[in-house]
Amino acid sequence: MVNLENQIFSSYKRNPVLFDEIFDEKGQVKEVYSKLFNLYGEHSINAYVNLNEKAKASFFNQGITFQVYDKKKTQEKIFPFDLFPRIIPPEEWEIIESGSIQRSRALNLFLWDIYHDKKIIRQGVVPMSLISSSANYLDQMVGLNPPGGIYNHISGTDIIKHNDGQYYVLEDNIRCPSGVSYVICNRTALKRALFGVFDHYKTYSVTNYAENLLDLLETVKPKGVDVPNVVVITPGMYNSAFYEHSYLAKTMGVELVEGRDLFVENDFVYMKTIKGPVKVDVIYRRIDDAFIDPLEFKPDSALGVPGLFAAYKKGNVTLANAPGTGVADDKAIYTYMPEIIRYYLNEEPILNNVHTYHCSRPKELKYVLDNIQNLVIKPVDEAGGYGISIGNRLTKKEIEIVKAEILINPRKYVAQPIMSLSVHPTYIDETESFEQRHVDLRTFTVLGKDREFVLKGGLTRVALKRGNLIVNSSQGGGSKDTWVLKT
Amino acid sequence: MSLEYSITYKAENTYEESVREAYWQFLIIPEENDSQQFISIDFTNSLDATSEFSINGYGFKTIRVHPKGEFKSIAFEANFKLIKKEINPFDFEPEGDVQKSFEKIQELDFKVDHDTFLKTTDYTLIPEKSKNLFTFDTNQSVFENLRALSSFTHHYIKFNSEATDVYTKLSELLNIRQGVCQDFTHLFCAFARLNGIPARYVSGYLHQGNGYFGDSQMHAWAEAYVPFVGWIGFDVTNNILAGTDHIKIAHGKDYSNCSPLRGVVFSTGKNETVHSVVVSSQDQQ
Repeated sequence: MVNLENQIFSSYKRNPVLFDEIFDEKGQVKEVYSKLFNLYGEHSINAYVNLNEKAKASFFNQGITFQVYDKKKTQEKIFPFDLFPRIIPPEEWEIIESGSIQRSRALNLFLWDIYHDKKIIRQGVVPMSLISSSANYLDQMVGLNPPGGIYNHISGTDIIKHNDGQYYVLEDNIRCPSGVSYVICNRTALKRALFGVFDHYKTYSVTNYAENLLDLLETVKPKGVDVPNVVVITPGMYNSAFYEHSYLAKTMGVELVEGRDLFVENDFVYMKTIKGPVKVDVIYRRIDDAFIDPLEFKPDSALGVPGLFAAYKKGNVTLANAPGTGVADDKAIYTYMPEIIRYYLNEEPILNNVHTYHCSRPKELKYVLDNIQNLVIKPVDEAGGYGISIGNRLTKKEIEIVKAEILINPRKYVAQPIMSLSVHPTYIDETESFEQRHVDLRTFTVLGKDREFVLKGGLTRVALKRGNLIVNSSQGGGSKDTWVLKT
Repeated sequence: MSLEYSITYKAENTYEESVREAYWQFLIIPEENDSQQFISIDFTNSLDATSEFSINGYGFKTIRVHPKGEFKSIAFEANFKLIKKEINPFDFEPEGDVQKSFEKIQELDFKVDHDTFLKTTDYTLIPEKSKNLFTFDTNQSVFENLRALSSFTHHYIKFNSEATDVYTKLSELLNIRQGVCQDFTHLFCAFARLNGIPARYVSGYLHQGNGYFGDSQMHAWAEAYVPFVGWIGFDVTNNILAGTDHIKIAHGKDYSNCSPLRGVVFSTGKNETVHSVVVSSQDQQ
């Protein structure tokens, strides 16, 4: 029991083994949260429940939903939202922001290198197999210079706080990272529900994301273009992130298009409009590489634009992110991030990397097989938290199955120590009370030509199932508004 | 001496139901290189749809056609005239020290330089049990080994234009041991790569006046990179080196990078495609 005077936390159980974001080891509220704690304490738990319901309804009404894929069926859901925000103090944010930029810049230089001279491989810093056996490495990108020299225009960096109080990066998402629309909607929802609390904190705004994204996309326009025409291309309304695609197009003030709305003529890209064709210069694409151009990649895809890749190769259109960028968010590349940062930037990594064992190396494979109960086993090429096994949650029989799978294809797996994600008080419907739940943080970094931007905020995802360490939205997680405080 | 070649490529597509929208991309234009020079290119289609010249992802020239309006059939015809220098494929400085060649292909820089054409692809994956069917003899030069590989492949597979199709993989080919130029080429590339030699799939036209085996439409052969020498063409189907009769269009990792026609067609019902190629030559005056 923590604080009996505070009504809404009267039944909060604090597990001392876990790193709690708002209570210290003695159960005292940390200073940065104290005002918020008192403000929320003025409400009864019933009042809080009412507000929470209203907030949820507002998400439904705005159509802020996503789809969960399952073997049997696909479901439309709202991303559960928790009214108790997470606060990141300025000194911690400084580390997160500079660390996120550092990783994005290093990954961009890495991508340039592996599609040009491949110096990092020639000098033995990373092994050849990382690119020669990666399905995401596009030979068509070799020697191609993307406008402005940028590959990963938009990066989503997944960061956790371990029980040592330090931030660690779990993965870099540089294909089509999603979630930024929730950051902004969460802020709006919280302001609607509890406007008053914002008077007591100096919090950075998150609504400037779209304008910065548009500004930076304009810096990577093709040569010879004065004012670029930017569009967002979506796979369509059945995509799980369609809400976000439409949200970003709307807030940037640009057109949202599908593949069939565009066509290529003489290696330039045009958008069909009722006033005739309009040239398109920069495409923020939310379609995976394999689907962008059926004449170059997957021939049976109807999502893309025939001839788009040739237009790109000729330098007549910018694609963000660049095709072939996915090779760098392979989990096998992640494990070399400290070396990659040192190699290109001559700096020490600002954010920690989780130590990773490569099952492709015989010695490390043996360690993994012997210590599987203390490790998280991850396939290197699955997104969205699928295929992950957490060693201490497996039965003896399951351990044997996982071991057998690793032995069939060791290159497919890496293993990491089980990280203890920090916990944050989160309102739980079933018990109608606050409980500790694991959280992580996804930051959004945008790279432009000689400029960069990190959204001062981010998506704090909550694992709603008790004890669940996987916080991905496709796995039934929720989210919180995330406040970055001004100094 | 030079030869003047005249190549006619025809394709006709017919559809049971009307086609609402279609895009085609032809990879049929001969490459311009040291030994191949154009005189003229002519490309027409029966719908008078605009043709655009462009490139594919590997930089080879393509022709794209996107007809406007509905149709049930379309015919394409391309006429290329080019001058080909007469080549003696054996006219190169040999590798020299055999051991040095085999050391070279082990070097990291060599592997990095040739990564694209050392990779195994779906079409060049040899089943585990067949990997020892052909092994290199390190007492012989790389070039001699490749000639032996060409000879092995030529004898191991029997030419039969009915046995396989464009989707056939090596696991199946090695069972039936019959196929066409595409299959011979994939098998050759696969064993070359397995032994550390970069190898690429080449599509092109073969002047068949001299009684060579070839696919009835277009031809395929391989180019392998011999250390200290460079790329050398092996027409595995005919077990010869590629020479004056071989007119190259493009190369890639395998057939999927080189297919002469890629299309995206929005239509229901059955469709049929008929191709034909005629290559003729005359000595230059």
